[in-house]
Amino acid sequence: MRNSFLQLFFSIFIFFPGCSKVDLAVSDSKGILEYVSSLKGEKAVLLNVWATWCVPCVEEFPMIVELGKEIEELDVVFISADFEEQTDAVYSFLKKKGVGGKSFMKEEKDETFINGLHPEWSGLLPFTILYGKNSGKIVDFWEGKETETKFRESIKLAITQ
Amino acid sequence: MKHIFSTMLIFSVLFSKELEIGSSMPLMDHQLSDISGKSLSLKDIKGKEGTLVIFSCNTCPWVIRWEDRYVTIADAYATKGIGIIAVNSNEDRFDGDDSMDEMIQHAKENGYNFPYAQDPGSKLAYAFGATKTPHIYLFDNDDKLVYRGAIDDNAKSAKKVEQTYLADAIDALLAGEDISKKTSKALGCSIKFK
Repeated sequence: MRNSFLQLFFSIFIFFPGCSKVDLAVSDSKGILEYVSSLKGEKAVLLNVWATWCVPCVEEFPMIVELGKEIEELDVVFISADFEEQTDAVYSFLKKKGVGGKSFMKEEKDETFINGLHPEWSGLLPFTILYGKNSGKIVDFWEGKETETKFRESIKLAITQ
Repeated sequence: MKHIFSTMLIFSVLFSKELEIGSSMPLMDHQLSDISGKSLSLKDIKGKEGTLVIFSCNTCPWVIRWEDRYVTIADAYATKGIGIIAVNSNEDRFDGDDSMDEMIQHAKENGYNFPYAQDPGSKLAYAFGATKTPHIYLFDNDDKLVYRGAIDDNAKSAKKVEQTYLADAIDALLAGEDISKKTSKALGCSIKFK
């Protein structure tokens, strides 16, 4: 627990000159979930785990970004599962796709990270979880790419819960 | 129509149940196309003490990080009666990155010391409920599943591994002991079903 707080506290924020919009932090699952909890009562949260090399992740990525921009009551949090040497590529990708909110890069062993986010997740990418705006609880989750209709339905549910 | 069918197929695979511990090895007669040019099945691969099936491919970053350990495991256990095969079920890429020529080249470059075969129709992946690469299934000499999941706890570096899940499972199997950790999880690339 202490380690988790320290890790969050000392998260590496990577800022590039003139690109202050991208806010990319390295964190473990606990740190990420603490951030999600901090939004309880303010916004529904869509958490999406992706990677630059993951084709289905990259395919659904722009649609999720647009949903985040369109729906005021929704906060989209992207978590990159890329290896640390891909940090620059992750940053460039987020910038290119116009991601302005808080994003994370995974810093934890796979199994701990997977079970930390959701025990029913197999580890397949992409992975998406929706948290209720008022409850802060998980409303829906799925692994693999999904349609915009599915995303919209679950977001609507998350905003009302 | 084809798109709808593919989506339904992917959906059904994602929600199909993965082989449970204790299950029998499925589709042991299904013919696979090995890089040697021969056709072989899991029945042909089956070892005297057990069988290791690795769902893999040529390009997944997790496979690339982990595959040095495929070779180490084969070196350590093939002579102890463990049959080993890497299966490529990415049928949607059999005309591209996972073509037979690319697989031959990939196996050569990475010193594969075990069969590496295409799974026509991705039938083995469907039967195992496998959805990603790399993913490991270990069977005992009675063809019952005794371990499934990851090779170890560190894809990035063999030197930084703390938990050798698969080696521990094989050691226990060979010693006739209970396998303490029967499943593990890791991130991976989706199998590219057609």
